[in-house]
Amino acid sequence: MPRMTRTIATVVAATAMLLTAACNSASSGGTSNAEDSVRGVTDTTVKVGGIVSMTTASGYSKKDTDLGAKARFDRANAEGGLHGRKIDYLGAEDDGQDPSRNLAAARELVQRDKVFAIAPMSSTTFSGADFLQKQRVPTFGWGTLPSFCGPSYIYGFGGCMVPTPGGTISQTWPEGLEQVMGGAEGRSVAILANDSDAGKFGIRTYRQSFESAGFEVTYAKPAVPAAAVPSDWSAYTKEILRSDGGKAPDAIVSVMQTPYNIGLFTAVKRTGYRGVLTDPTDYDPGLLTKSATRKALDGVHVLTSFQPFEQRSAAMTRFGEDIRKAAGKDVPLNMHMMTGYMSADLFLAIAEKAGRDLTVSSFQKAADGFADTGTLVGDRAERKGQKESFGCGALVQLKGGTYVVSAPFRCYPPIPFK
Amino acid sequence: MADLLGFVLSGLVSGALYALLATGLVLSYSASGLFNFAHGATAYLCALAFYELHSGFGWPAVPTAVLLVCVLAPALGWGLDKLMFRKLARVGETAQIVATIGLLVALPALGLWTVELLADAGASVEPAENQFGLPGVGPSPAKSWQPVDGVGVDSDQLIIWAATAVVALGLWVLMRRTPLGLKLRAAVDNRSLVELRGLSADRLSSIAWMLSSGLAGLAGVLATPLLGLSAHDFTLFLFVSATAAVLGRFVSVPLAFVGGLGLGVLQNLVAGYADFAERITGFRTAVPFLILFAGLLLLTRRGRIAGTAAVDPPPVDYLAGRSRLRRWGPWAVAAVLLAISFYTVTTPFWTGLLAQGLALSLVFMSFTVVTGLGAMVSLAQATFVTGAALVAGLLLSHGWPFVAAAAVGTCAAAVLGALVALPALRLGGRSLALATLALAFLADQVLFQIGPLRNGDTGWAVPRPVLGPVDLGDDRALGVALTVLVAAAVAALSALRNSPSGRAMLAVRSAPAAAMASGVSVVRTKLVLFTLSAGLAGFGGVMYASYNTRVTATDFTAMTGLIWLAVVVAAGLRRPQFAVVAGLVYAVVPHLIAEHLTESTHLPVILFGLAGLALANDPDGYCAAIPVRLHGRRLAGAGVGAAASEAARADAGATSAAVAGADSTGTVASDAVAAGAGSTGAAPGSAVPDGAGANSVAARGTVSPGSGDADSAGPSTADGGTADGGSADAATAAMPARAGTGRAVAGVGGGRQADVTGRAGGEAVATALRLSRVRAGYGGAAVLHGVDLAVRPGEILALLGPNGAGKSTTCRVAAGLVAPLAGQVYVAGRDATRDGAVRRSRAGVVLAPEGRGIFPALTIEENLALYLRGRDAREAVYERFPGLAGRRGVPAGALSGGEQQMLALAPLLQRPPKVLIADEPSLGLAPRVVEEVFRLLTELRGHGTALLLVEEKATEVLKVADTVAYLAQGRVSWCGPRAAVEADRLTEAYLGLASAGEGVARP
Repeated sequence: MPRMTRTIATVVAATAMLLTAACNSASSGGTSNAEDSVRGVTDTTVKVGGIVSMTTASGYSKKDTDLGAKARFDRANAEGGLHGRKIDYLGAEDDGQDPSRNLAAARELVQRDKVFAIAPMSSTTFSGADFLQKQRVPTFGWGTLPSFCGPSYIYGFGGCMVPTPGGTISQTWPEGLEQVMGGAEGRSVAILANDSDAGKFGIRTYRQSFESAGFEVTYAKPAVPAAAVPSDWSAYTKEILRSDGGKAPDAIVSVMQTPYNIGLFTAVKRTGYRGVLTDPTDYDPGLLTKSATRKALDGVHVLTSFQPFEQRSAAMTRFGEDIRKAAGKDVPLNMHMMTGYMSADLFLAIAEKAGRDLTVSSFQKAADGFADTGTLVGDRAERKGQKESFGCGALVQLKGGTYVVSAPFRCYPPIPFK
Repeated sequence: MADLLGFVLSGLVSGALYALLATGLVLSYSASGLFNFAHGATAYLCALAFYELHSGFGWPAVPTAVLLVCVLAPALGWGLDKLMFRKLARVGETAQIVATIGLLVALPALGLWTVELLADAGASVEPAENQFGLPGVGPSPAKSWQPVDGVGVDSDQLIIWAATAVVALGLWVLMRRTPLGLKLRAAVDNRSLVELRGLSADRLSSIAWMLSSGLAGLAGVLATPLLGLSAHDFTLFLFVSATAAVLGRFVSVPLAFVGGLGLGVLQNLVAGYADFAERITGFRTAVPFLILFAGLLLLTRRGRIAGTAAVDPPPVDYLAGRSRLRRWGPWAVAAVLLAISFYTVTTPFWTGLLAQGLALSLVFMSFTVVTGLGAMVSLAQATFVTGAALVAGLLLSHGWPFVAAAAVGTCAAAVLGALVALPALRLGGRSLALATLALAFLADQVLFQIGPLRNGDTGWAVPRPVLGPVDLGDDRALGVALTVLVAAAVAALSALRNSPSGRAMLAVRSAPAAAMASGVSVVRTKLVLFTLSAGLAGFGGVMYASYNTRVTATDFTAMTGLIWLAVVVAAGLRRPQFAVVAGLVYAVVPHLIAEHLTESTHLPVILFGLAGLALANDPDGYCAAIPVRLHGRRLAGAGVGAAASEAARADAGATSAAVAGADSTGTVASDAVAAGAGSTGAAPGSAVPDGAGANSVAARGTVSPGSGDADSAGPSTADGGTADGGSADAATAAMPARAGTGRAVAGVGGGRQADVTGRAGGEAVATALRLSRVRAGYGGAAVLHGVDLAVRPGEILALLGPNGAGKSTTCRVAAGLVAPLAGQVYVAGRDATRDGAVRRSRAGVVLAPEGRGIFPALTIEENLALYLRGRDAREAVYERFPGLAGRRGVPAGALSGGEQQMLALAPLLQRPPKVLIADEPSLGLAPRVVEEVFRLLTELRGHGTALLLVEEKATEVLKVADTVAYLAQGRVSWCGPRAAVEADRLTEAYLGLASAGEGVARP
């Protein structure tokens, strides 16, 4: 038997090598790396797809991102499209937060559906990034992953939101909190994150961020188990609430996801804590439908990196109308819609600048030095956005069942990240 | 102090949930020997259902919860038991583990898909995603109190405590104070004895599964406010509670319950006081898994040798003996075609998809090594993949060449594998699976959180290599290169399997003790297997990362490893090619489903998960099952002989029948030809000679087409050529009783007609138990070659014979524990051949098995109560045996051997059975006690019981026997009244000298 298998293996290997050698040289010119790709662009249409994690085992979904993008593209088409071309939005592929499916979705959109660009791409994983960069596919999404920082074809709608050493940190959060607390001097904050590498990184970032704004950071630990939400918080709250020289700190900053925040804030409030609570994830009007979450998050100041829905502006009114039209009914707005909407918006804005002669090269050229102001995510500028976040944000506070703006939407200068 | 109290109290909350889950685990495990990995998924499903019914449909909370816990969850358990668990209990442990892992993936997806479909249909369901702070049974938001300063409780916690306390009390009452509980405990103690006592173990298993599911449902509903709707969290919760089940050694409900509570407290204390570990990122996250791992190491009793799972027999190798071209040709052609297709027909998208599948195949083949060759279920393969890819990426970023980086990465994975293997040497089966899972989580949460190794969320770029003129940056070139690598790996693994080391591995797999005795180092073999498998997985991981061109620490998590395992095992583990099929299927099928069936991503997950369900029928996977079934059909079509036999029942189909024949022992004896080519088409024709010295298989039997209902039996042949060559002893056709049922079994061979035929009708009424021409054996090895015996009421028939003559097998056939391959068993003149032990027992046939027929964990009183329902009857027993009366609360296991035998026989005296089959009742007893035992047996005869007595103590038994039969080499060589017994015959019988072919004389 072994002899036979060896023979077969040799035959296979020989065939393969021959084929590879023969064809490899011929193939290099034929891929989509052609200098001036017009993949997905016809005289009348531009094809765009999306990748969004919709179904997950953890129960977390960004499904509405798709609706947001659709709303924005619908309006663009209603206004006559991109220099006469309609946007042919294929809808978003579901990657289920699975890295292999993320890459498969990217390949499917590019190689089979031949899209010109991908907007939105919103997931907890972005393993398709290298492929998209290599295939020269302009991609727009939520810049919370490192892949949005650096690669020339990948754009975060609010910029790159992952600070890298040598880069900058956005000061939106401490500056907003200063407004809420009436200054930073002499105020103490405790920062809590998950016990993981990402949590550790978050602690490092925000400790510097809050300290340089003038806050005194009395506690900053990645202490909360990351695999599953703890059923009991007393172990963590006890330490935090004694961190300011035996007293409770003036503010508790959570760098965690919603289920953790609910547990933490409920536990903290039960001890009678009266200070400021704040987190970056819980700006979701959907949370208000449950009395338990409404109670847990009441009074919490939530950071948003876009204009709050409560801040009435022409752009926001238009956003609400577009969403309603796309959904076909009144739906509560949420940040995933905003993600999709603004990812599409950034793509449209750059493509608009590229003009009628739309190719990947002309698009990339238009992105160089692109800038506009006063959007729902503040003042945008490329290529700056591929290195740092646009630095704009607001705080909203949940009060008696509705969100109110506690620190209005503004852009702040970033600080260097050490 | 208040801190400590707080930690303990709140730890009791999760502890209560652990206790509920662990109790369910133990119940279902003891009912069917199955560790249900999907237990958490059941809990999740109930949480989801509760949420949808309560919040979506607006049903009131408490009635909904009651409905779920008392009706729907048990119904789910009942259905799963019927569909799957019951069958799984009969297959190897690997298939068991994998099937429930598949379910763990499939059930939540099924629930979510249902919600999705209902929403599409316009039902008022709520979306199941992004739901937090869900209402439970109590008020929402929960009310909270501070009874002691610094210690708070809320209503949800109180409800969990109260419900758990009620359940604990209820379970205690059920198990300790009701007849049902007594039966359940008896079934846990000794399943086969329960059947012998006329209680259906299957029905008890159903009840246990219903209880278990109900408990999972309760845990699910109670945990809703805590865990939300995250299937992931529920599953993690379950894995942790497995520690408590381990503490109860999977059999003790009270221990598991208390263990669960303690676990919650311990976890809380460690989290509260683990400041010392602050510098280790991920330590607190990993605490539950550290506890699980430590628990497994400390508490698992060393059952099997060196971590081997249940011995699952290999399937029939229908290609054995065929030319190598026939064996390998199709695969080689497929590989060449695949390689050519990359440059001819496939689109870039499909090229990428196939390349991805091939890269995964390399990883999947590592399962062929560790689980296929080693019979160890490793749930840590994803860890090796991630480890190798990260190391390779790290080195590449330092400018190492690809080949060197890949080699070091592979070695790193191998080292990791060797480390993981260390517990494998101690643990086995499910404990090993759980331990590797715990290690996989530990690696995810601690090892891969190390900054310099993981490089944040960015991970490492793994650029594709350029090897000479070949640039693997082109997908097509990569595809061909992977085809070559995969082919080489398949060839290497096949060569390994057929090498001396491979044979050693297989020996360790199937019989560790025997392997050790033949000088094979079990420990070294296990270590080698694990290391090799980890290395292969690591190499696959590097290749996969290079397909991806990047690796991050979260690309392959422990949970990914679970799905992989389900996918690979569903395809089959016996040959490495099957892993390649699995890899390609895993890459391609989701795409095909999305393209042609539904956009929903739930369906592929459900399909991959439910593939495990098919394992209940085809434990060797679809790659093996499909050709084997086709082959069987071809055989049936060609009329080549699969003998019709009762043994080949439909459900045994692929499992037991496949075992027969190609057991690689070379004994394709005529008896093994037992696979019925029935209507199911499940006829893995074991009749094909495997070239290993099979002696004249079925060759001399005359083939005659079935003359009865064709669907029941199919064509059959008489079995010619038994071991001793001459006496073909078929003749099953002519039994009147069988002809009367309308089922014709045709095919009379060249043998002579049985002389019992004529007598059957007349004598049947007088005999209490009669065996006629019984042929039986185990797994293809025949033990009985046509046994005729008859016992009349009030008669003691002593069955004598040397070791290995088949005495115990005769008893087991008589009691219905072993189904005969041919021949009949009559109870009081009625054909009871097809009755199992339960119906036999209910008909009054009681077996006192070899050893002691008691339930050691039950008290004397309980042992008696299982046979004697009435209190008066038990009191009568105590009067007769005052020695037992004083110790009625003592566990029977604490009695001396003689007392145990008395306990086994005592209730029978009170309510004499029609037939008592006693298998060596005097074994290991003092002479005085032996006398007492025989006196009791004589007394039973006086009550009219027919006794079939198997004994080695010939002198004693001859004093009481009325009739004596000698059994030698599976045949009754002499049978006659005690008076006719001659010393010479006795000696001959014991020394096994009596010729089997001698005529059977009957009084």
